Amino acid sequence: MPTEPVSPPPQKPFLIEKKRTRFLGLTLDETIRAFFGGNAFTAVVVLALITIFLFREGSAFFGQNRESITLYRQAGLEYVDYMRTQQEEHTALTRYLFDIRLRAVKHMTEAPLGGAQKEKDAASKELWELEHNALASGPAVDPEKLASAKARVAAAEAASAKILADANAKLAAFDDFAGRYSDTIEPVRGLVSELTDVAVAIKEKYTINEDAKRERAQYLAAGMTAEADAVKITEVDFKAELAPLVGITPIYVETANGVAAAIKEVASTPPTLPVPALEERMKRFQALNAQYLASFPETQRKLETWDYQKPVPAIDTFTGFIFGKQWLTASFWQDWYGVVPLFVGSLMVSVIALFLAVPLGVGAAIYINQFASAKEQKLVKPAIEFISAIPSVVLGFFGIAVLGQALRALSQVEALSWIPGFPFSERLNALTAGCLLALIAVPTIFTLAEDALNNVPRSFKEASFALGASRMQTILRIIVPASLSGIVSAVLLGLGRVIGETMVVLLCAGNRIAIPDFTEGFAAFVQPVHTMTGIIAQEMGEVERGGIHYRALFMVGLVLFFIALLINFLAQKIVRKYRVSIG
Amino acid sequence: MSTPANPFASKPSRSRSFEKVILGVFRTATYIILICGAAVFGDILLKGVPTVANAFKTTSTFPYVTNTFLFEAPESLYVFEHEGKTMEMGDKDYRAFREAEIAKAAAAGLPPPVFKSSSYVYSAGGIWPCIVGTVLLVVGSMTIALFLGVCSAIFLNEYAKDGPIVRFIRLAILNLAGVPSIVFGLFGFGLFVIYLDWNVSLLAGWFTLAFMVLPVVITASEESLKAVPKGFREGSLALGATKWQTIRKNVLPYALPGILTSSILGIARVAGETAPIMFTAAYVVRDKLPWDVEKASDFFFQGVMALPYHIYVVSSKIPQNEYTSRVQYGTAFVFLGIVALIATASIIFRNKLRSRYQW
Repeated sequence: MPTEPVSPPPQKPFLIEKKRTRFLGLTLDETIRAFFGGNAFTAVVVLALITIFLFREGSAFFGQNRESITLYRQAGLEYVDYMRTQQEEHTALTRYLFDIRLRAVKHMTEAPLGGAQKEKDAASKELWELEHNALASGPAVDPEKLASAKARVAAAEAASAKILADANAKLAAFDDFAGRYSDTIEPVRGLVSELTDVAVAIKEKYTINEDAKRERAQYLAAGMTAEADAVKITEVDFKAELAPLVGITPIYVETANGVAAAIKEVASTPPTLPVPALEERMKRFQALNAQYLASFPETQRKLETWDYQKPVPAIDTFTGFIFGKQWLTASFWQDWYGVVPLFVGSLMVSVIALFLAVPLGVGAAIYINQFASAKEQKLVKPAIEFISAIPSVVLGFFGIAVLGQALRALSQVEALSWIPGFPFSERLNALTAGCLLALIAVPTIFTLAEDALNNVPRSFKEASFALGASRMQTILRIIVPASLSGIVSAVLLGLGRVIGETMVVLLCAGNRIAIPDFTEGFAAFVQPVHTMTGIIAQEMGEVERGGIHYRALFMVGLVLFFIALLINFLAQKIVRKYRVSIG
Repeated sequence: MSTPANPFASKPSRSRSFEKVILGVFRTATYIILICGAAVFGDILLKGVPTVANAFKTTSTFPYVTNTFLFEAPESLYVFEHEGKTMEMGDKDYRAFREAEIAKAAAAGLPPPVFKSSSYVYSAGGIWPCIVGTVLLVVGSMTIALFLGVCSAIFLNEYAKDGPIVRFIRLAILNLAGVPSIVFGLFGFGLFVIYLDWNVSLLAGWFTLAFMVLPVVITASEESLKAVPKGFREGSLALGATKWQTIRKNVLPYALPGILTSSILGIARVAGETAPIMFTAAYVVRDKLPWDVEKASDFFFQGVMALPYHIYVVSSKIPQNEYTSRVQYGTAFVFLGIVALIATASIIFRNKLRSRYQW
C-alpha cells in the first residue's frame, strides 16, 4: 500500500544568521587575501615586464642589423674593406718599424744624454748663480767667469745635440729601409681611397631611395595619392653600380702583386741595427712581414669570389652582436654593433674593483666579527652602512674632481714607476673607476660576509678551542671555511652591484670604446674603457627612437639583465649547495 | 736595578707573531675602508660648505634671511672685466648691470662700455628646483613602493603557506633586487615613456623608482612582521577575530614603526639613484617649478630637475675650473648631506626601536 511520501519537517531558520558580504563569490576575508596575494605578485610581474619590454624594443635589432649588413655587402663596402684590411695591416707593420726606431734611439742615447743633461744642469746653475750675484752686488762679477760659465752651458747643449745627431746618423740606413717599406703600399692606398668614394656613393643612393619609399608610403597612408606619385623612386641597380668596382679586381690583383714584389725586394735587404738588443724585434718584424705576404693570395681569392648577392645568414647578426669586436656608430662608412669592447670594459673595471674590495671587505668582516670589541663594532658597522649610502653619482663626481688627478700624480712618482702601466697620462681610466667601484662593493661584501660568519654555529668554535687550537687557527681553519659559501656569494653579489653600476663608470672610466691593448700586460688596466652600463646612459638620450642604434642599446640592456640574473642565480646556488650542514 | 723577568710571560713564538701580523692586516683593512669613506665625505664637506655658507643673504620680508644657493634656480655665470676689476654675476644681475652701465655711459655722453664676458652654464644661482624635484620623486615613489611592498609582505608572512608559488615569488623578489638600476631605467623608458606614452614625467619616474626599491621594502617589511610575536596573533584569533582583524589590530600596529624605519634606507637608495630617472623623469633644466602648472593633471606628466641628475650634468657637461667647482661641490654637498641625514635617521630610529620593543 503506497504511503504518502513523508515530507521532511520544514527546517527552522537559524536563530543567529550571519550575513556575509560577497564580492565575486568571495567572502570579505578571502577578498582581502586575494588582494594581498595580488600585490605579492608585483615582483613577478615586474620581472616579466622587464624581460618583455627589453625584448620588445630590442628584438627588432637583428632584422635591422641584417639589413644594414646586407647593404654593406650590396653597396660594395665589404669588397673595399678587403683591400682596406690589406692596407691597414701594412700600416701596422710600418708602425712596428717606427716603434723599433724609437726604442733604438732611446737605447743609444739614454745613458750619454743623462750625463749631458747633468752637466748642462750644473752649468746652468752656475751661470744662474753668477747672474744672480751680479744683480745683487752690482758689476763686481768677474766678466771672465761669466763668459766661461756661458761657454760651459753652450758646450753642454752642443754635446747633447751631438749625441742625438750621432744616434740619428747611425740609424740612417734603418730610416731608409723604413721609408722604402712604408712607400711600397702607396699604389694600393690610392686604389682604396678611390673605391671608397664609389662605394659610399652607392650606399648614399640606396639610402636616399629608401627615404623616398618611406615618404611615399606615408603619403599613401595619408591618402595623398598625387603627392605619393610625385615622389621619385629609382631602384638602385646594384649590378650596374658595382660594375666599376668589380671591374677593378684584375687591376687590383696586379697592383697587389706589384706591392708584394716591392715588399719582398725591400725586405730582402734588412739594415743592421746599431743596437744588437733589438735584433730580436727585427726578426719578429721579418716573421710578421712574411705572414703578411702569405695573406695576399687569400685576399685575392676573396676579392675574386666576392658576390654582392650572397645572402647574409640570420645567425650572423646575432654572432656579430655577441662576438663583434667593434662598437662603431654614426660613421660615414658602416656602423658596427659588437658588444665585446663594452663587455670587456665592464669586466675590467669589475676585476679591479673586486681585486681591491674583496680583501678589504672580507678582511674587515673577519676583523669586526671575530676580533673587534663591542665598542668598535658599534662604531664600524654603522660607518660602513653610511658608506653604502653615498650616492654613486657623488662618488663619480669625486673621481672626476679629486681621485683622477690624485692617481695620475701618484703614477708619476719616480719610485712607483716599476708598477706596470705607471706613469699614465689619462686622468679618467679603468683604474680610477675601479677604485671608486671598490668603495661601492665593499659595504655589500662586508655586510653579507659578516652575516655568513655570524651564522657559523658557536659549537664549531668551541670544539676547535677544546682541541687546543689557537684563536687564529680556529678562525682561519674552522670559521672561515665553514662560512666560505656565504663569503663567495657575498663576493658574487658585490660583483653584481659593480657590473650594474652606471654613474661612476659613466663619469670616470674615460669612455673610449675600444678593446684595451692586452699585449702590454697589466698596463691595459690604466687605459680608458667604456662599459655596457655607461654606453646605455650616454647614448640613449641622443639616438633616434626606433632606429638600429636605439635597438642595439636595448640589446645591451638585455645582455646586462641576463648577466645580473646569472650572477644572482650563481650566488644563490652556491649558498644552497655548499652550505655546511649544521647538525 | 732591573725588574726581574716575569717567568710566566708568554714566550714570543713564531705562531704568535704570525697571529699578530694577521690581526694587523685585518685591522688595517677595516680602517682603510673607513678612511676612504671619510676622505670622500671630508673632501666634499670641506669644499662644499663654503658654497652654502656664503650664500646667506638678508631680505626685507619675513623670514629676513634666505640662502641664494638653496632657494634659487640655476643660472649661467658671467665672468667679465669691468673698470680693471674681475666681476662675477649671475645671468639676471649681469643683464641689469650691463644695461645700467650703458645708460650711465649714455647719460655722461661717453661711448657705451664694452663687456667681454665668458659664461659658464648652471654655475650661478642655486639648486632649488632640483631639491624640489628630488623630494617629489622620493615622496611619490616611496608611497607606491610602501603600499605594494607592505601588501606583498603581509601576504608572504601572514597568509601564504610555503609552496611552489611562494617560493617562486621569493625567487622573483631576490632576482629583482639584483637587476642593475640602468636596466630599470631602460624598462621604465620602454614601458612608461614610450608604450604608455607618459613622456618624460614624474609619474614614469615614480613607478620606475618604486619598482626598483620594491625588494628592499618587501624584505624590510617582512622582517618587521616576523618580529611581532606569534602570541599576538594567536591571542586575537582565539578571541574569535578574523584573520584580517588580527592583522589590522594586532600585527600591523606593532610592525609599522619597524617597516617605516627600515624603509628609510630605501629612501636613501631612491634619492641617490641617477640611472633610472635619466630617461624617465629628469630634465637637464626646467624654468618652472613643479606646482606651476595649468591644470592639475599636468602635474603628474611633467619632468622635473633632480639633484643626482644635476650633479651628473654639472660634473660632466661643463668644464672644471674655479668658477664651476663652487656649484659642483655645493650641489654634491647638499645632496650628500640630505642622503646622509636620511641614513643617519634610519640608523638612529632602528636602534631606538630595538630597545623599545623587547618581547
